[in-house]
Amino acid sequence: MKTMKLEIVTPGGVIYHGDIKQVTLPGEQGEFGVLPEHASLVSLLDAGVIDIETADNKEILVAINSGYIKIDENKALCIVDGAVALTDEDGSISDNIQAAKDLLKSAEVSSTTMANVVGKIEAIGR
Amino acid sequence: MANLKEIQRKIGSVKNTQKTTRAMKLVSSAKLNRTKELAEQSKVYAAKITEMIQDIASTVSKHGESLDNVFFKEMKNPKVVDIVFVTADKGLCGGFNSQTIKRVNFLLEKYAADNVKVRLRAIGKKGISYFKFNQIDMLQEISDLSAAPTYERAAAFINEAVEDYIKGATDKIIVVHNGYVNMITQEIQEEQAVPVDASAMAADVVSTSELELEPDDDDTLLEALVKRYLEYVMYYALIDSLAAEHSARMQAMEAATTNAKEMVDKLSVQYNKARQEAITTELIEIISGVESMK
Repeated sequence: MKTMKLEIVTPGGVIYHGDIKQVTLPGEQGEFGVLPEHASLVSLLDAGVIDIETADNKEILVAINSGYIKIDENKALCIVDGAVALTDEDGSISDNIQAAKDLLKSAEVSSTTMANVVGKIEAIGR
Repeated sequence: MANLKEIQRKIGSVKNTQKTTRAMKLVSSAKLNRTKELAEQSKVYAAKITEMIQDIASTVSKHGESLDNVFFKEMKNPKVVDIVFVTADKGLCGGFNSQTIKRVNFLLEKYAADNVKVRLRAIGKKGISYFKFNQIDMLQEISDLSAAPTYERAAAFINEAVEDYIKGATDKIIVVHNGYVNMITQEIQEEQAVPVDASAMAADVVSTSELELEPDDDDTLLEALVKRYLEYVMYYALIDSLAAEHSARMQAMEAATTNAKEMVDKLSVQYNKARQEAITTELIEIISGVESMK
């Protein structure tokens, strides 16, 4: 299966950089998934969770507040204001769940988005 | 013969200066470490957002899409150019400020030769006072931003220029600052902020498909993205400049301390010689006094 490169960058540094099989992003107009060979796209990202499936079949989740993504056939570059990795590189759940919730709270998102995201985060927590 | 007291006083004064310069060097190196950390953190983000913007610009130009956005339209013959430049608030940092001013002057002459009107937007006391002294008008000046850059204030500053650009009052914005390379080198950085320069991107990296935007009323998305980019370019220029300023000052103060040390050495030799001379004269006087008593 083909893979593509994904980079998630915040003003505080690089959050994720690696080869992926698939990524699901919280777009402004709804969640969307991206596979390798995707057509060029620039999109606004809302607060939410980025779901990454890495090349070696691990699932990584990153909570973000808002940002942009530029997608090409073989790479995706994601620029966000704030991000917290919810799962570590090896796929285990890190203890950043509270930090992620705070991040989203500070982003002042609408209550429905918030509930949606919190639900997602808590689902991982279990 | 030089007066002994006088030489002694001079040595004291030079030693005092040396103490000051050494202290300034230490302060600068502490500040440099802090700023360097900050610069390294935001460097990746600055580089990536620039990459993203240039990527978009080159995709747009390659596919000849009529992306109706002011930020990506290359002006063939700009009539008004805004130069944003960053200098320090304080001196005593070698050629740091004068290098930036020199570059700005060079740009002024270059554009003047092409009959282009240049408007200056100044950050930092040193640059402001230089252009004030030379009676060159500045459109915008801010004097306490370069010593303590914050994202909000940097954004507010550049946004004024961007508003003008959107309104059509200016055709091009250039950012000039003296950037940090390493502890002993600073380098002038000149960046064309808008319109976004697509030629800077290698052609083979450009994607083959047409660019799609979402949400697709391109004005909101691209405008927000470009504004964000410009704010960050400005903020990063300020941090980079601050790091360069501290490293330049460190160097200048280091050199001053060494010079002071050399001077103390020279003066000490002079002092010893003078002292010896005085003793010899005194001895001769005593001896000749004794001789005459015989």
